[in-house]
Amino acid sequence: MIKLIEKIEGEAKLNFNFKEGKIDFVDIEFMSTRNIENILKGKNAFDALVINPRVCGICGHAHLIATVQALESCYDNLKLSNKAKIIRELTLSFELIQNHFKWFYLTMLPLFGHKQQILKATYPSQLMGKAIALFGGQYPHTSYAVVGGVVCEITEMDIIKLQLYIAQTVKFVEDNLVKTESENFLTCKDADALLDYEGDLPDILRQIKKDGFLEHGKSYDRFISFGQNSYFKKGKSLKTKVIHNISVLHVKESEMPSSFAKNVSFKDKYYEVGPLARAMVNKTPLVTDAHKKYGDSIFSRILARVCEISQLLQHSKKLIKDLDLSEESYIEPSIDISKLSSSGYSAVEAARGTLIHKVEIENGMIKNYEIITPTQWNLSGGTKEKQGVSQKAMVGLSDVKTAELVFKSFDVCSVCTTQ
Amino acid sequence: MKKKMRVLWLSAIACNGNTHSFLNYPYIEQFLDDFEFIYHPVIDSHYTLEDIVSKKIPCDVLLIEGAISKEFKRVDVSVVDIIEKYSKIVQKIVTVGTCATFGGIFRESGYEETSGMHFDQDKPSQKFQDLIDKTISVSGCPVHPEVLVNTLYAIKKEAILKLDNFLRPKEFYAYTIHNGCTRNEYFEYKVDNHRFGELEGCMFYDHGCQAPFTHGSCNKVLWNEVNSKTRAGLSCMGCTEPTFPKQNLFSTKKNMAIPENLPVGVGKRVYLTLAGISKAFKIDRLEKKLFDD
Ligand code: SF4
Ligand code: SF4
Repeated sequence: MIKLIEKIEGEAKLNFNFKEGKIDFVDIEFMSTRNIENILKGKNAFDALVINPRVCGICGHAHLIATVQALESCYDNLKLSNKAKIIRELTLSFELIQNHFKWFYLTMLPLFGHKQQILKATYPSQLMGKAIALFGGQYPHTSYAVVGGVVCEITEMDIIKLQLYIAQTVKFVEDNLVKTESENFLTCKDADALLDYEGDLPDILRQIKKDGFLEHGKSYDRFISFGQNSYFKKGKSLKTKVIHNISVLHVKESEMPSSFAKNVSFKDKYYEVGPLARAMVNKTPLVTDAHKKYGDSIFSRILARVCEISQLLQHSKKLIKDLDLSEESYIEPSIDISKLSSSGYSAVEAARGTLIHKVEIENGMIKNYEIITPTQWNLSGGTKEKQGVSQKAMVGLSDVKTAELVFKSFDVCSVCTTQ
Repeated sequence: MKKKMRVLWLSAIACNGNTHSFLNYPYIEQFLDDFEFIYHPVIDSHYTLEDIVSKKIPCDVLLIEGAISKEFKRVDVSVVDIIEKYSKIVQKIVTVGTCATFGGIFRESGYEETSGMHFDQDKPSQKFQDLIDKTISVSGCPVHPEVLVNTLYAIKKEAILKLDNFLRPKEFYAYTIHNGCTRNEYFEYKVDNHRFGELEGCMFYDHGCQAPFTHGSCNKVLWNEVNSKTRAGLSCMGCTEPTFPKQNLFSTKKNMAIPENLPVGVGKRVYLTLAGISKAFKIDRLEKKLFDD
């Protein structure tokens, strides 16, 4: 049975094969491509800072940060102020947060039979958009992070405004998502105790329990995350065993037969990326507790993603305290890009998981550019013998509606798959 | 209950940036009281995309996001066919963003004959000639949410909008982006020492700011209600224009030290003469840090 999955920033065709009333295999097909990597070839390297955010309208900022870091990795001894690093981390976090809100209220709630909560999605994500615009001038599609730092200078007043946007977002979380002081949510270590709270998140988690969905969405139980920063750690997690010493060099991309998307594997194995992966690698107590009890099911996946909202808001407050406004925002690179022939790469955590950019530059022009997106990780596989993470998560379910819920719990994005 | 205007949001070859820009419109609650999406890429709608392409759902306004090519399909139907079907029944068509208007970034995506609806960059395209009178363009990469929403309200009100040569409402596109930038004085008095990461300076001289010859309201209707690229210190990339994206966007193209592209309507010789005079001002306040000790 073929079902068109819509509103995933595009569509995918899922072809369900049933055996004895249960899903046995799902063939996933994306129907279009947009060739950004080709568009970049032959362009000035810095132009990638303008073009790449346009890979994706919802996680374009992660693409900007990945681009600037990939370009910077091509230089030797490039200087970057701590202030610029912090500002970039802040805006990246804000994009993740707005993404999480949209996913929870626009995508997840309706799949549980509730009305889509548009205003609950747009109100906090608009606040996060303002916070990004404070530095970047606008959201979406700014190119404010440039090689050597950020283009903006910020003042005490900007910080005051920023703190207000964050405080207002925290308040939204406390009034809606989990109705308690954030401190309680952030220090809660028991996934079942969370169910005693009121709020949109506990409501959904209780519903998962009540409807007997706790086994749904389990996959390989293998997680990976590369985008290290002051909050996220790099590493992979296999059934709670975490190894931090991993290298992007072992990530491979290969063609997939039936679809425009390409396979991504780490040492020939498929891994889940995204908030659940990050929380497993970071060993976030509440999420590892959920994982201990309910495995890599939709329960843990949804909890991990919403939990990250509060964590990143809290971490942002800390980062702001670390900002030294007297530092430079931008330090001009000592060598002009037109004299640079080199290659480099970056890994950044986007809302849906690890994003990798690889670039080759010749005399300041782009010779080659490769992008590996989070959705590619979660979709990789394809064949029945070697199923992808999200494919495997649907096996054994008895109806297509639940399968759609599981599929969307990874927040598969068509735009990002078929860049 | 009052009648809502029915809108179809159709994405062609796009990044969905306009979709997410639209979600930043501050009064979305009121908007959704006045308009109903028969389809939208993220907002739930009464109809599925399969309904949209297989039937003819009553609709008042067709919004197109993304570059257009016959080869590009939604649910196995060419976007051109979908556009043709709905354009017959709607009152107005709005090309949302620069891709749908001029081709934009995704003009180069490798599909056959990809362009905007009525323009292939700045050249008129022959494709949808009969629909020109129905179309309004709101370019920008992405479109500014207020520009889109207020244009929709104008359609609803049946207000008569003056359009420019690219079918853009003059109300928003008669201005240049330069208008309202907080760095204007550095431009006026030709203080040409901009460095990234500073509040001071103008990016026109060295860093590729295209604002003086780019049409739009970015510095009049601020982004996210708080800022603009040029205020923040990033050059205007000219994203509302048919030429977007040009090349070498972070540096100013010059001929014998004079920027090749001058403000709209300004001749080279006059510019040179005036620049020479302006430079004589030597305004101490603009040579120093804005917040000096
Ligand atoms: S930076 Fe750009 S918009 Fe601002 S004053 Fe200079 S030319 Fe105008
Ligand atoms: S400032 Fe220029 S590049 Fe930025 S959104 Fe406005 S028109 Fe586009």
